[in-house]
Amino acid sequence: MEQSLIVKKGETIIFSSHGKWLYPLFELEDFLATNNVPVGELSLQDKIAGKAAAFLIVRLGFKNVHILLASEGAAEVFKRFGVHFSADKLVHRIQCKTEEIVQGNEPPDDVWQMLRRRAGRVSGVPVSISGLSYRIGKRQLLSKLDLFVNKGEHIFIKGQNGVGKTTLLKLILGLEKTVEGKIVVGDYRVGTKAWNKMRYITGYVQQESVKNNFPVTAREVVEIGLAAQKKSKLEMEHRTEISMRRTGCWHLADHSYHDLSGGEKQRVNIARCLCQQAKVLLFDEPTSYLDPAAKEELYEMLNELWANEAPTVIIVSHDDSWIDRFNWPVYELKNGSLCLNS
Amino acid sequence: MLELLTYPPVLRGFVVLMLSGITFPITGVYLLRMNLLPLRFMLMHGALLGGAIALAFQINPFWTTMAVNLILVWFMIRAARGLKADAGFISIFIMVAAIGLAFVFISLFDVQAKDTMGLLWGSIFTIDNKLAVGFAAIALLIVGFHFFRYRQLKAVFFDPVIAHSSGVNEKAIYNVVVLLTALTVAVAMKIIGALLIDAVIILPALIATLHAKSFKGVVAWASIWGGLFAFAGFFVSYWARIPASSAIALIATFVFIGIYFGKKIKK
Repeated sequence: MEQSLIVKKGETIIFSSHGKWLYPLFELEDFLATNNVPVGELSLQDKIAGKAAAFLIVRLGFKNVHILLASEGAAEVFKRFGVHFSADKLVHRIQCKTEEIVQGNEPPDDVWQMLRRRAGRVSGVPVSISGLSYRIGKRQLLSKLDLFVNKGEHIFIKGQNGVGKTTLLKLILGLEKTVEGKIVVGDYRVGTKAWNKMRYITGYVQQESVKNNFPVTAREVVEIGLAAQKKSKLEMEHRTEISMRRTGCWHLADHSYHDLSGGEKQRVNIARCLCQQAKVLLFDEPTSYLDPAAKEELYEMLNELWANEAPTVIIVSHDDSWIDRFNWPVYELKNGSLCLNS
Repeated sequence: MLELLTYPPVLRGFVVLMLSGITFPITGVYLLRMNLLPLRFMLMHGALLGGAIALAFQINPFWTTMAVNLILVWFMIRAARGLKADAGFISIFIMVAAIGLAFVFISLFDVQAKDTMGLLWGSIFTIDNKLAVGFAAIALLIVGFHFFRYRQLKAVFFDPVIAHSSGVNEKAIYNVVVLLTALTVAVAMKIIGALLIDAVIILPALIATLHAKSFKGVVAWASIWGGLFAFAGFFVSYWARIPASSAIALIATFVFIGIYFGKKIKK
């Protein structure tokens, strides 16, 4: 079968793929990450490249690229990022949906994120809320609220105290009963029997507050993520270790959870969500009790999460300076409904 | 001293005491963690109500007490959920209602209050074979539930909201825990009496939380301490000619004080 993508080190082919669309480039991304290959010495040859492929190649760091059939849009992207590029044939545009979607002037990370979603390479699932109303006593907290968060998308929800931010998260978790409206997480409508069996796909990280001092180790907290899943002891241990290593808290495994700092506790809680393989992560005021250094750690960890597993993330926060550090959409909850702020 | 154990009632009492000592502190851990300490008082008053009913109608006091306490616990769970109120708060209300009702029975059926109060004192030597089998069954139930639902219990005890988001049916686990605890408290009254019940159920768990770092450690140590107190309490009671329940309570208290101050000095 004819190779569509070839990567050479000198004259030696170190990677090839005959996959279709952008999948060979995603395979290459995995290959480079797994084998820790420096991209500077490599050259890449692709069969067809439009703007989307050009962005992915740029993001991978290639400086020497030959394309058999390239679009003018792809050529512009390569030029913009200083990639040495040659093509057998240059056409105005290639027949592909992504050629229409990608403008050409976006940051490569944004394009990469969008393409990952289209390629189904994100662990997140969509969250869809429609016509959601909720009242406590006579007080209407949420009123015909609509929200759609795409798979792998990350958003902030802010708003003043008592407007119903935490209630909204609790409704998504199914902790509060939805009387009017509909919440769908992935393929499951919240509150149904099918969702009940799969509700571990939504992970929850509360604000750091000491509710009890009952003895529990960091490892035990992470294992809670698997409490409702039938797993062998070996698999549980393996997944706990992997999750704790991923969030950099494996060395704290046997420490008492209550002796950890606010930042370390957040690491442990995110590890718990990774361990349960949550597809949607809900954070409720995650920086409330964190010092600046711990906030910075959390910022880095969330960015890393975004770059790797890419779960769908909804963060409720009123920490404006921290929110501003992310380039994520910010919604404001006001008068029972959400409006996009930025 | 071991020749004591050649007498069947003593041997039976010893075995039941050891079984209870090792397994009942597991529910003590649940009581402590779920902040259900007022539940014991409700069950003690439930025992008085059960006793009054049993004496009024001339029926078995042990099983009547057990049934009354299970009904009270069921009512407490329903009321706490329905009113979205703290279970401890509801249990105080039920406790007062139970004792009020007990006095109604005592008054209406001319029951001797002294006989009812007698139910608050237990003795390991009054246990017959049937009751011993019942104890063994409850001990097995506690251990079985703990091992088969260990991961879910750990999640609920850490945080019911987190447990829910992990997929655990936290309400069901909570209900079973409360019912199991009620059952344990009700039967423990038979061997140690209502007023010293903490010595078998709560104190070993409390001591374990002073030094254990993990949930697993707390449960294991609570069982170890409970077993040691039961063993030591049995022989000390014979040696000092005091009731076994008092011996257990005093030994547990000395150990608690020792560990508490040991920790303070270490700090």
